[in-house]
Amino acid sequence: MTAAERVLRTLTIAACGLLFFLPLWWVTVSAVRPQEEIFAFLSPLSPWTLWPRNVTLAHVVELWSGPFARAIFNSMYVTVVTVVIGLVISAKAGFALAVLPFRFREGVFVVIVVSFLIPFDAIALPLFGIMRGYGLQNTYTGLILPGIGNGLAVFLLRQFFLGIPRELREAAMIDGMGWFGIFWRIYVPLSVPALISAGLILFVFQWQAYLWPLIIAPAPDYKVAAVAIAQFSDFYGTNYSLIFAGSFFVSIIPMLVLVVFQRFFAASIATSGSKD
Amino acid sequence: MTKPTLAGGAAIFGVVAATSLLLSAAAGAQTTINFLSAQNDDVFAPVIEAFEAANPEYRVVHQSVPFNDLNTAVESRVGSGDSSIDVYAADTPRVPAFASKGYLVNLDDEAEAIEAAVPNPVEIDLVSHDGSIFAYPMWTSSQLLYFNRELLDAAGIAYPDPAPEDRLTWEQLIADAEAAQAAGATWGFMFQQVDRYYQLQPLFESAGAGSGLTGDDLLEPALTGEKWIETAQWYGDLFESGLAPRGVTPAQTDDLFERGELAYFVGGPWALNRFNQVDGLDYGVAPMPYFEGGEPVTPTGAWALGINPHAANLEGARKFAAFATLTAEGSYLTTVNFALMPTNAEGFERYQGRLAEMTEKVGPVLDIMVYEMANTAVVRPRSVGYVAFETEMNQAFGDIRNGADAAEVLEQTENRLARLLARL
Amino acid sequence: MDRLRQPLTILAFLGPALLAVVLLRLWPAVFAVDLSLRPPRGEGYSLENYQFIFTDPQFLNSLVVTAIYSLIVNPLQIAIALALAVLMNVAVPLIGLWRTMVLLPVAIPQSVSAVVWGVGLRPDGPVNALVQALGFEPQRFLTSPDQALASIILIVSWIGVGYWMTFLLAGLQEIPRTLYEAARIDGASRWQQFRYVTLPQLRRTLTFVLVANTVANFLVFAPVQILTQGGPQGSTNLIMNEIYSQGFVIGDARSAAAATVVLVSFVLAVVSIQFRMMRAPEDEER
Repeated sequence: MTAAERVLRTLTIAACGLLFFLPLWWVTVSAVRPQEEIFAFLSPLSPWTLWPRNVTLAHVVELWSGPFARAIFNSMYVTVVTVVIGLVISAKAGFALAVLPFRFREGVFVVIVVSFLIPFDAIALPLFGIMRGYGLQNTYTGLILPGIGNGLAVFLLRQFFLGIPRELREAAMIDGMGWFGIFWRIYVPLSVPALISAGLILFVFQWQAYLWPLIIAPAPDYKVAAVAIAQFSDFYGTNYSLIFAGSFFVSIIPMLVLVVFQRFFAASIATSGSKD
Repeated sequence: MTKPTLAGGAAIFGVVAATSLLLSAAAGAQTTINFLSAQNDDVFAPVIEAFEAANPEYRVVHQSVPFNDLNTAVESRVGSGDSSIDVYAADTPRVPAFASKGYLVNLDDEAEAIEAAVPNPVEIDLVSHDGSIFAYPMWTSSQLLYFNRELLDAAGIAYPDPAPEDRLTWEQLIADAEAAQAAGATWGFMFQQVDRYYQLQPLFESAGAGSGLTGDDLLEPALTGEKWIETAQWYGDLFESGLAPRGVTPAQTDDLFERGELAYFVGGPWALNRFNQVDGLDYGVAPMPYFEGGEPVTPTGAWALGINPHAANLEGARKFAAFATLTAEGSYLTTVNFALMPTNAEGFERYQGRLAEMTEKVGPVLDIMVYEMANTAVVRPRSVGYVAFETEMNQAFGDIRNGADAAEVLEQTENRLARLLARL
Repeated sequence: MDRLRQPLTILAFLGPALLAVVLLRLWPAVFAVDLSLRPPRGEGYSLENYQFIFTDPQFLNSLVVTAIYSLIVNPLQIAIALALAVLMNVAVPLIGLWRTMVLLPVAIPQSVSAVVWGVGLRPDGPVNALVQALGFEPQRFLTSPDQALASIILIVSWIGVGYWMTFLLAGLQEIPRTLYEAARIDGASRWQQFRYVTLPQLRRTLTFVLVANTVANFLVFAPVQILTQGGPQGSTNLIMNEIYSQGFVIGDARSAAAATVVLVSFVLAVVSIQFRMMRAPEDEER
């Protein structure tokens, strides 16, 4: 690429990024301005549409002095646990479905694919009935469980593992390595981007979740951030300042997580070396 | 080779379980009463505090869910026999449906006490079904006409008369709103709960078109009479002509008035707190308009407290609900951080002091509301099919507001409602 | 390789996932199917709920709207996601930040995205302000039966495109550079490199993205439920919104269950076709 091409490319990329970020920037601006100014500069466009004319942190302070702090903690805890457990479960299952030879492998794969076709909202009520029977309302377990059975993550990892050349494991087997060793020492290190992608799926599902946490855990100690934000709006009035302030924090945390994990998407050397 | 995996998995589960236990709230030695509502914690904090002080053997835990999702929460938990909710806030139009599904305890044994504390028969009607009382009446609502004095002055329009007997007609109001808009107001008029049946039912009642449901059980939709279509078209024309804005949701309507863009605004008294805090907003209140040749009608009804028949603590639940609604102190405390009116007669007396203070600045708020509640309030149809009805009506109003032909929309809605209500 | 006869190994790897999927998805789904076969009044099983929904003009309309929506949104989102992935598959300053900005919308609660876009697309809002500044007539967006579905497509794409771009990007980064060098030596143009190196190498990832995106789009409803409730005049009444409204708002769980069964069957059929189309020989028994 020439220097000019590089500059043009960088500018295009930056423009795309900023364009996507624009609505979230507006949320940020709305969180730190006085309530009466949130809708004041929508039309016609002015510099104040995207930059606060008067800045106030009063709403942010108000947000954190309430139950929101607990809600953010709940969201983070539940999401982290979901991702960790979910990854372990999905990676192992994806490995089994891509690599382990056994009868009914295709059938099991179909079953898992079907599972993520089922809209979660459609099974939320029956699932609640089942969980209630085990006393799982208003518990972290109740919040976490639906997030770890994610057929999409299994599907993704299975697709990825299919692409790893069989020569690698055949060589390992000749050396006497068992299935677990092959999984842990060969496949997993080669799959960092895929694992991160699967982690992303699990993360997004759980961080975003609204209906399930609402039904299973509305108690203040267990409420998650997405539900807490919705609380700022009821029949008698909506506090957009708090909604946007809450939205800002609910967005900045994934943003930081995502920026950090971006680095790990780079291809690993082993793969490019052995692909034929 | 497989053992490490199993052990690893078990260890992870163990850690999670232990942490969860540590982080869970420890159960106290008192009896816990679980209370579900759609309000923020600070609304009920004062009354909970007072109740716990007077009854130290009880502890009340308030769980709140967003208003739009309260029905889901009630259906999924109370509906499935969950004992983890003892008392919950029930929106009064839904009381018939809840009662008929067995989600509410029959309170006839306390009927005398309830009727003594809440003498207004309309409020008792709102918590009843099939002749029995099923919930403790807590709050009620009314509506006011707000107007921006500055925008009216700019157009040379006289302020609406605050006396209920001399209220504006809708025809007059629209003419004035158009004049205000011509003189510089961005918008002439707006409803607070735009597209919602609660807000718009009075239009149809005032025009003599009826509530939309007929029949013995109020399960037959009646939306295609001439008056219904005419009034609905009138509603749609408000937006078609540009007098009122499209695309603004009910949550965003207060903001229009606060920023001085709106000349006339029909909304509930809960907006008073917000408007009073805005610098430089010079506004007044008047009674809600009516259609010429028709009756003045205002909407009413709000929340009541219901008891879950499967509650773990029936006795405690009823004690708390009774304290919050049947005692003057409890009733008043529920309104300290919230702007709705208590149904308890004595609680209302304490409450009205705050409203009376506003008279000098904005007008006789208290007098208007007392008059409306006694004379013009009409309740939403007491039908077990109310939720389906309201959902479809809100949809229909939305379509009409966005320009669809009123007759067509109402006919489609009537057909659909007939099918839906037949399944109940 | 011998077929594995040790069930313990299989169970150790597959067990937890299968258990989770069965207990947390399939078992409750069986309940839902059962519910769909029970009539609203009376005992026993019958097809009454299915009869009800298939004679309901609103449900039938939702099928049409969903079909139109899917046919537009899936190719659109994948094309944009692929273009963005190719664009961003380069190490320029702050590339991590730009990629994150495009990806971020998917991690935000959908209620927030819906509210923000709802305000943005208000007839008196900033998007119209921009439109007017460019010299055009203000548009009606979500308040018009002709533009509402397109507006929803815009919102859903803003939310999802970064997500799919990320998977495609990971797939692109797995393609060995040696392949491109070989193609260049053979004289292939950029476009030919894309067609004959990139796309085939991306096949598995593309299958994943295509299937997952199709499924995700069939299940869209939060922006619709928050912004338009299926209107104006049913023009945005995607099937999942109809199901949600029936099940959770109106409280008719049985017809909602029946509609869900219809939806899942249909999606299963579509996904099977997609799988078949995208299958490569190397996916068979290894």
